[in-house]
Amino acid sequence: MDWNPADGTGPVHVPLGHVVANEKWRGSQLAQEMQGKIKLIFEDGATLADFYLSSRSCILYITEADLVAGNSYRKRLVRVRNSSTLQGIVVVEKTGMSEQYFPAVQKFTVLDLGMVLLPVASQREASCLIVQLVQEQAREPSRNPFLRKRRSVLSEASLVRTVQQIPGVGRVKAPLLLQRFSSIQRLSNASTQELEPVVGQAAAQHIHAFFTQLR
Amino acid sequence: DQEVSSGSGPHCSKLCLANKLSASRLPQDERKPCILVDSHEITSGLEVISSLRSTHGFHVEVCPLNVCDYIVSNRMVVERRSRSDMQNTVNKSKFVEQIQCLKSMFERICVIVEKDREKPGDTSRIFRRTKSYDSLLISLIGAGIRILFSSCQEETADLLKELCLVEQRKNAGIHIPVLLNSKHCEALPFYLSIPNISYITALNMGHQFPSVKKMANSSPEEISMYAQVTHQKAEEICRYIHYVFDIQMLPSDLNQERLKSDA
Repeated sequence: MDWNPADGTGPVHVPLGHVVANEKWRGSQLAQEMQGKIKLIFEDGATLADFYLSSRSCILYITEADLVAGNSYRKRLVRVRNSSTLQGIVVVEKTGMSEQYFPAVQKFTVLDLGMVLLPVASQREASCLIVQLVQEQAREPSRNPFLRKRRSVLSEASLVRTVQQIPGVGRVKAPLLLQRFSSIQRLSNASTQELEPVVGQAAAQHIHAFFTQLR
Repeated sequence: DQEVSSGSGPHCSKLCLANKLSASRLPQDERKPCILVDSHEITSGLEVISSLRSTHGFHVEVCPLNVCDYIVSNRMVVERRSRSDMQNTVNKSKFVEQIQCLKSMFERICVIVEKDREKPGDTSRIFRRTKSYDSLLISLIGAGIRILFSSCQEETADLLKELCLVEQRKNAGIHIPVLLNSKHCEALPFYLSIPNISYITALNMGHQFPSVKKMANSSPEEISMYAQVTHQKAEEICRYIHYVFDIQMLPSDLNQERLKSDA
């Protein structure tokens, strides 16, 4: 249906709300569990990934058997990693049997390749996870709570707090100093003589020393 | 050669001096990697700390980080969470708030999800994967936050080590002696009070700027270089330093207090 380069990293067309699955998953438990909730399109041929959530993001599924068999899964991961258009999410079966291989997979996937890795205990768990990934991708990014901006605190209150960290300056002197010198930068350049009328002689010396003392 | 850190005393300042001297001479890989740990981890993650120190030979510095668990580089923070904590929906809003706070301070965030310790015979802790757990993971991924999975504290230490080494290779490693002398200590709370500044950034400032006055008169380029922050962050700091104070804008409770003291 689409142009595919020989290595299978070319764009795959994924209709909205669908998942394009590699032909090899037809009839599997994973595919059956997903089919109840989302529409699967099976694609034959040289596709690199196991599932395509969109034309830009795909899932590479590492089974328990893949893990036990050795490092052959790595080649596939690297090819997706090297394709400029495709973001790969690696889902790995972490079971009692494959558990011992998990740290090595994680190190390779996340720390060496910088890809996303999600462990699942079974194909059933994987199907739930993939369905949620599809639903999440269809949503507005602003629905993501971690992407929301925090309300910023007014700078005036923080400035007072910052000036209060100067030895000898408390909640009374801090606003006075800021009112007179208007910014931290100007305050840092004030001479003892300029500071004296605002806070008195002793505090003026402390403040001046605090700013100019070489560390 | 395990070090007694987190304390102070004469031998610490000697060590600090030695670090300072060696930092300029030794090539990067010969230096002991450094990691900052929040003091609450002494109770909740003692094995992580001891494993980092004894097994991996790290310089572990316990600091009052307050908002986060581990700082592994100039730009990266690591949060250690138990899997049951991640499962528990009651904690979600608190967790979201914390991550948002970390996002305002750090360029890179990593969450290590650690398996809870199992007590023999305790079946209440059997892990049942929930939809909200999956959705939390997916949201974290969507926000560009890295997730690592660990089965125990030792493995968490190993992951922290790896993260630290990756960051060092990318030239973001922590290179300053964390133990500062008393003059540095005086400036540290001042730098820490700048909004959205991480502990390591404040430490870098305390160590790299010859005086606070010099810092306050620096350009964004200089701040970016000395404090080891992005240009954007340096500009944010600069804006704060130059921000013109308006007493009218002060929240009323603070302002009222001042008026009272005037009267």
